Amino acid sequence: MRAYILKRIGLGLVVVLGVVLVTFVIARLVPGDPAVAWVGLHATPREIQQARHTLGLDRPLYAQIVTYVKGVASGNWGTSIHTKRPVLSDIGSRAAASLELVVTAMLLALALGIPLGLVSARWHGRLPDLLVRLGAVVGVSMPTFWMAMILQLVFFQRLGLLPVAGEYDPSVAYLNPLVLYTHVPVIDALLNGNWPMLQSSLTHLVMPAVVVAAYPMAVIARMVRASILDSLGEDHIRMVRALGFSERAVFGRFALKSTLNPVLAVTALVFAYSLASTFLVEAIFDWPGLGMYAADSIRSLDTPAIIGVTLLVALVYVGSNLIVDIAQAIIDPRIRLN
Amino acid sequence: MSEVAITTRSRGVARLARKNPLLAWGALVAAALIVVALAAPLIAPHPQDAGSTMHPAATLQSPSRAHPFGTDMYGRDELSRVVYGARVSLSVAGLVLIIAVAIGVPLGIAAGYFGGVVDNIIMRVTDVFLAFPALLLSLALVSVLGPSVRNAVLAISVTWWPWYTRLARGQAASVRGRQFIESCRALGVPRFRMLWRHVLPNSVTPLIVQVSLDAGGVILTAAALSFLGLGAQDPTPEWGLMVSQGQDFFTTQWWLVTFPGIAILITAMAFNLMGDGLREVLDPKRVLTR
Amino acid sequence: MLGIRTRFLALAFAVLMLFVLSNCGSTSKLAQVQNETFTYAANVEIMPGGWDPSTDYSSELIAMAQMYEGLTRYNAVDKKVEPLLAESFDSSNGGKQWTFTLRSGVKFHTGRPLTALAAKAAIERTIKLGQGAAYIWDPVKSIDTPDAHTLVFHLKYAAPLDLIASAGYASWIFDTKAAGSGDLGKWFAAGRDAGTGPYTVDTWQPGQEVQVTLKAFPGYWGGWSGTRYQRVVFRYVPAATTTVQLLKAGDVNAEMQLTPQLWASFQNDPNFLTTSTPSYYNFFAMLNTQRAPLSDVRVRQAIAYGINYDGIVAVLKGNAVKSSGIVPAGLFGHFDDLPNYTYDPTKAEALLREAGYGPGGKNIKLVLTYEQGDNFEAMTSAVIKSSLAPLNIDVGVRPLQWSVLWAKTQASDLSQRQDIAIYGWYPDYPDPASWFVNLFETQNPPVYNATYYSNQTVDRMIGEAMKLTASDRPKAETQYRDIQVKLLQDVPAVPLVGMVYQRVLPRSVSGFQDDPAYPDVVFVYQLTPVK
Repeated sequence: MRAYILKRIGLGLVVVLGVVLVTFVIARLVPGDPAVAWVGLHATPREIQQARHTLGLDRPLYAQIVTYVKGVASGNWGTSIHTKRPVLSDIGSRAAASLELVVTAMLLALALGIPLGLVSARWHGRLPDLLVRLGAVVGVSMPTFWMAMILQLVFFQRLGLLPVAGEYDPSVAYLNPLVLYTHVPVIDALLNGNWPMLQSSLTHLVMPAVVVAAYPMAVIARMVRASILDSLGEDHIRMVRALGFSERAVFGRFALKSTLNPVLAVTALVFAYSLASTFLVEAIFDWPGLGMYAADSIRSLDTPAIIGVTLLVALVYVGSNLIVDIAQAIIDPRIRLN
Repeated sequence: MSEVAITTRSRGVARLARKNPLLAWGALVAAALIVVALAAPLIAPHPQDAGSTMHPAATLQSPSRAHPFGTDMYGRDELSRVVYGARVSLSVAGLVLIIAVAIGVPLGIAAGYFGGVVDNIIMRVTDVFLAFPALLLSLALVSVLGPSVRNAVLAISVTWWPWYTRLARGQAASVRGRQFIESCRALGVPRFRMLWRHVLPNSVTPLIVQVSLDAGGVILTAAALSFLGLGAQDPTPEWGLMVSQGQDFFTTQWWLVTFPGIAILITAMAFNLMGDGLREVLDPKRVLTR
Repeated sequence: MLGIRTRFLALAFAVLMLFVLSNCGSTSKLAQVQNETFTYAANVEIMPGGWDPSTDYSSELIAMAQMYEGLTRYNAVDKKVEPLLAESFDSSNGGKQWTFTLRSGVKFHTGRPLTALAAKAAIERTIKLGQGAAYIWDPVKSIDTPDAHTLVFHLKYAAPLDLIASAGYASWIFDTKAAGSGDLGKWFAAGRDAGTGPYTVDTWQPGQEVQVTLKAFPGYWGGWSGTRYQRVVFRYVPAATTTVQLLKAGDVNAEMQLTPQLWASFQNDPNFLTTSTPSYYNFFAMLNTQRAPLSDVRVRQAIAYGINYDGIVAVLKGNAVKSSGIVPAGLFGHFDDLPNYTYDPTKAEALLREAGYGPGGKNIKLVLTYEQGDNFEAMTSAVIKSSLAPLNIDVGVRPLQWSVLWAKTQASDLSQRQDIAIYGWYPDYPDPASWFVNLFETQNPPVYNATYYSNQTVDRMIGEAMKLTASDRPKAETQYRDIQVKLLQDVPAVPLVGMVYQRVLPRSVSGFQDDPAYPDVVFVYQLTPVK
């Protein structure tokens, strides 16, 4: 067990090093002079020279690689050209909003995806199955940015049911100030017992969360369906059936268990994907998270910031995969032998 | 022997397609889209509007008989641009998948066949690339390379090949242990020929499934890049770009966002349905990875 | 078991949705707060460069202009410099010496009074840091303070210091002693201000939607009589469609640019006022005069005749107005009656034919670059490409990041340079010299002159015009007319269009006037909330 976990962590570290090197290579591909981007329009040659030195661009390549890797390891992820603040502190100040969105979306995806997958498998080949499968295909085929705009058109413009954008209504926040503990408005409002703010932040969360949840929900539903159908063919389920347990028990008590592992794995996978899809969604909903930061950075060719966010999402992905691998090994010892 | 196998299989496919309406619909729509792309000049009411022609006097007209999808901010016929957009999206998807297969499959076969150090190195590199969500890595790449269709194709290919390496490696490794390969080796058949004759054909079925599953994903990624301004540039009629250009007007001129968006959705759906159905028919044991 | 759980979940979900959708805000209190608060929606970060009044050189201006004041302010309506912190000002010695008399009774937000020494210290700090737009003070040799309210500037050469002092960047007067013995730069960086303006900082939340809130400074020299806004809120709202919703909901009082369509959608709405003001931001097609075929003046003129200017204005839907000459409207040196080019494909064809090109002649292939992400330039470039195509001119349009585009204009390998670069230009202080010195004066190696135009006569005329601006402004205007006539003949660059500021304000805001010298700034103190 310990040997397996150590091996997984070792492999994870190798991948992390590779990820860091890939981001360095991308950062080096930038055409033109990053120093010019740093100082902006109307700059004098002296200012550009100074910027080149500040950014370390006047040093040899290998030295820059070593500095870069060391920097990443020690929490120095460079300075954003756009905000002129350290990239990691920019990321820190925006992570809470993105986590709020992505975690809500994942919970939504699990809460709806698992039952849908169950329904689909229970009535395999019949109408409910067909509908769920079709729905899942729509979910994975939907351009997220388009879905966001269409929801805004329908639920805000036409029906007026939900607010169009933002994390909460600032005028509500002004009248009902929040004491910030977590910087996640929904949680802070709960901790404060601040009901108007809770309402405001929840209503603002609905549309973006649904958009981010569409893809993971479809993937999870498919995965649940596939793994249940798979396990229904297995011997122990046949045995359970033969013993005369009701269909409900077969599904709820036995088949469902077999989906735990694949659902865990796929959740880890789509978590990082959902973080990446916030790049498309947050700007449309004015959601002040990492995705909007990334979109801003792309617009201003803020390479350190783009690289920083890319690196972060990749690290989250490697990390969540590692955690799932270890969790699976603990739950299901057979995995270790694989 | 092979003839018999093909006829039984194709008859089987036809029967299963009847049993599998989603596959049939997907394949039908995908075929229709390819026809639309090929026959775009015949279908589009104003083919020149897909290029650099513009009509500043007729901008932002709402859908009418003359312009069923309305006109855009340069006065171009939106329907013609959506029709021509099929060419862009399908060729981008085709190019990306060809490049990804061309890079990924040989590497995977090499890894699976030779095993050992070669396998280890290749698979660690793929692990690194797989650690980036496809959209993210291609986005970072294009944002530094500069926006264009060519760079978008390159960047998406860079993020897509590792999947084919994994797939081909699995196939090669499973073939490697089989009896006939061992016999070939004993008979002194050259390695290259052995790979070519025996490993590759065995990988074709899962490859077809994977390619049709991926086409939808590639089209969505390319559209997302264009939406962020990092893919095709005006006047190229790319659907993602058209949605992005329509974003400024979507509350007042809804048609500019709606129609190209539906085109993306339908295209991605067609390929996903087809890939999904093909997987069930041809390769039922494979579990979805993405 | 499963059934019960599902039913419970459904119930919980329904309760949650009911709670979420029910509306229970305290409306009257909300309305009152909204009435004394002025909310501005910006589509960019508000304080991207921090809070230092010496170095800020970007969108900080929209907030800085509420907290800080300079010695003078430019009024674009009558094209005159008006007093602000300086009650009066005068030049002598042919524009090489300037005397400013400071207003008395002005207090910094730190509580200390504004004195000549304090103003001198602020300007000297800006010069010493030498960042952002600090170069505007380059002509200054020394500053004297003969008494507590008089500033005397001795210049190295004649310069229009009244215009320079009215700049939107690097001109602010602040209390250099605000941080005491501490580091002033760090003190500002924490989100503080030390100006003399009507508002002072209340909160700053970088990365949040509500990024900056300002509150009234009770000791403001202008006083707080009458009805005025007590709070100013800056919200970061990237999407224009969102801004529109906020405007309609009454959550926002003013905004940076909307799209022309969205702006137009308010035109018939009785609750809103739509304004449209020409800006100082105008656009040129910089032609590479050193490379064939654009080295041939006939081809350059043909391009100037071949561009469909009305087409550009049409696709930009009122967000642009056709340029007349180089200098934008609202600035001295602008003339409506210059020998401008109009769209005339027949003339263009004739000129091209004379040079051996045009339809049926040799094909011309040109590379056009513009700044990636700039919608205005993208649409302008698309129209240029489209209108030159029938003249047998193929324009390859390449969007490039500014740093790349700029590097390309300066490439030492001449074949790497572009044929046409779309440039947008605005001055850092309201002086036409900015265009001529940066875009058309001989530069070797090139800095901003992407036309590579070099004409000794024009160089000399520009130098004279600048001297005249400091001493004899009417004469300077005539000189600028002559320069523009010459540049229109030689066409190193085709003047395209100027951007128009289109703004929507609720009728509850009274007294608004866009001032192009201070892009996107709404001077909130001058406004009156109407109930």
